[in-house]
Amino acid sequence: MKLFKRNAREKKLGESALTLRLWEFTGSAILSLVVFILLAAYLLPLSYMFVTSVKGPAQMANQASYPLYPSVNPQYNYQGVDYPLMKVPTADGVKEWAIVTKRRTYSEFIDPHNPGAGLIHWDGNWYKLEKVYRFSVTLQAFGDLLKAARISQAMTNTLIVALISEIGVLLSSIAVAYGFSRFRIPGGKWLFFVLISTILIPETITLIPTYIAFKKLILWLPTLPFLQFPFSVPWPWLPLILPHFFSSAIFVFLLRQNFRSIPRDLDEAAMLDGAGPLRILTLVILPQSIPVVTTVALLHFFYIWNELRHASLYVGLTPGQQQVSSILQNAPVLPGVSTDAVLQASALLVMIVPIVVLFAFQRFFMQDMIVTGLEK
Amino acid sequence: MLNSLSHAPAPPGPKIAHPNAGLRRREATIGLLFLSPWILGYILLKVLPILVALWYSLTDFQLLHPDNARFIGLANYVYFVTDPEAWGGLVGSLGYFLTTVPLELLVALGLAALLSSDRLHGKSILRAIIFMPSVIPASAIFFIWLGLVNPSAGWLNRLVILPLGLPPIVASITGIDNVPYLATIMALWSIGPGFLIMYGAMQGVSKELYEAAHLDGAGPLMRFISVTLPIISPAIFFSLVIDLTSAFGGSVLLDRGFLFSESLSPMEGYINSVMFSQYNLGYAAALAWVMFAATMTITFILFRSARSWVYFPEEDSHEAF
Repeated sequence: MKLFKRNAREKKLGESALTLRLWEFTGSAILSLVVFILLAAYLLPLSYMFVTSVKGPAQMANQASYPLYPSVNPQYNYQGVDYPLMKVPTADGVKEWAIVTKRRTYSEFIDPHNPGAGLIHWDGNWYKLEKVYRFSVTLQAFGDLLKAARISQAMTNTLIVALISEIGVLLSSIAVAYGFSRFRIPGGKWLFFVLISTILIPETITLIPTYIAFKKLILWLPTLPFLQFPFSVPWPWLPLILPHFFSSAIFVFLLRQNFRSIPRDLDEAAMLDGAGPLRILTLVILPQSIPVVTTVALLHFFYIWNELRHASLYVGLTPGQQQVSSILQNAPVLPGVSTDAVLQASALLVMIVPIVVLFAFQRFFMQDMIVTGLEK
Repeated sequence: MLNSLSHAPAPPGPKIAHPNAGLRRREATIGLLFLSPWILGYILLKVLPILVALWYSLTDFQLLHPDNARFIGLANYVYFVTDPEAWGGLVGSLGYFLTTVPLELLVALGLAALLSSDRLHGKSILRAIIFMPSVIPASAIFFIWLGLVNPSAGWLNRLVILPLGLPPIVASITGIDNVPYLATIMALWSIGPGFLIMYGAMQGVSKELYEAAHLDGAGPLMRFISVTLPIISPAIFFSLVIDLTSAFGGSVLLDRGFLFSESLSPMEGYINSVMFSQYNLGYAAALAWVMFAATMTITFILFRSARSWVYFPEEDSHEAF
């Protein structure tokens, strides 16, 4: 794979061609090495998770003696009993035979390719023999996991929370960003400073009073007769959803940066045509801000999918209401999650959704962060 | 806060000439209407809780006996002064901010510089790979790394440490605290947002500036130090401020704190334990206020220092501060 292109500008330097080539070669080599280490650092942990999740229980019970890849020690069924295959050195080279009788000074094997030959006598200590390992992938860990934890239900729950709060955070943040970018408000600059400073308020300081207030709201609101909805979103989800309807300071900041870069001539033209502020927002500003709005939507989705603080505080492991993040946090103590393979399977299952979303919007998302960065 | 580098946004001066004050008032009213979700949320979810927390901090409010709360003055704060665990948490959070955060900034900066190099191919896929760990729930990252560093089965020993001839990990690993620096490694692994902020800013540096520096005979390193760094300094400052918040318990763009709060934000971890294990909300509120004050002090110092090292291309930039 051709990884590097020559930088034409470098050639303008008044160095001899040989030195230059040597210099370029060293630079490319260092760059490749750095990229290789980088890829290893990012992909090794993910590969570990992926590979471990498809290992079987036998390998998980004795990981150290098995190879790194998912594998099994094949068994051969001889007269109704399973015997493990071993690598047996013989005069004709190494044979893969199943060990039937284990003695200190000799062993008896059966050749799976020629079982009719009967037991083969072999002199030596079987303990020093290596087992045969064959590459083998199993989805058993995923099966165990789905039995132990209602991951699919938790995923649906989190998707519902993400969707409802997404609507809230987008509507409110777009409105606030529009207000900050297009209207002359007395003290507007000061208000924007206050908005930015809310990013810096640590959540711990507001956590205790909001926790108490939400706990009371969750008990009190369902008793109100006019709040009986035909659809049922559990009340403990209220603290996970409601705060997002009051806009997010960092999203307002990102959106405002983008709105400000849209020329005002367009609004003025629309205004002369008799468009009101809401129509200008929906017909002029938003169509030009699709990338940044998508980025904000994605960032919010990733945030909700990862959000653990409130999910574990208000919902935790309440049956039927769990969120993905708190299920995952408690995965090691769930009954049935016995091996690391199941744990890695849970990590894999839960991260599939955001990773698919990330790669689906990858170019768009990244591209837009660049534009946003340019704006900064 | 961070401002445009190449193209100035529309100046905040007069926009549409309003002939009379009535129209102006109307504009302000509509504007405030658009701001109302934030203003309402700011009052209900920020100002009010902060003040209520201040009130709680002056009482002996217990989670299990909320009706028996009595006003006890500054007793909680007096107790804080002699509480070694609280000081440990505060020092720990500060230590995290002083050690891991600069490391995070450096790594984000390095990755951004690497991916901005025009010698590199396959950038978009590399970018996605670097961002990938940042969309994974923190618990998943925790499991992955715990498995990876497992002394007998983990890959770190078998694939990296032993082949390189380094001393292997031998400790029996039961928790994150048994592996030094694991929290830092995990923080560096999910560096996505910080990286993107830096990377985005670097894309905004105009090519002409590099050309000019190149003609002046500046090498790549010199160009990076004297051209790139000053221009992206607002992005560095922005990252610094975000990381400060997460060091003291909060989540901006990425929720990483809560699970690892013991190691990533010791002060938050201690407050959580006072709150949910001892149910002592009054004292927890006092601790939260101490932490709030500490964060605000550091923020103030940072903003003060920003004047001397953060580059603002336009006069307009003061608006954000």
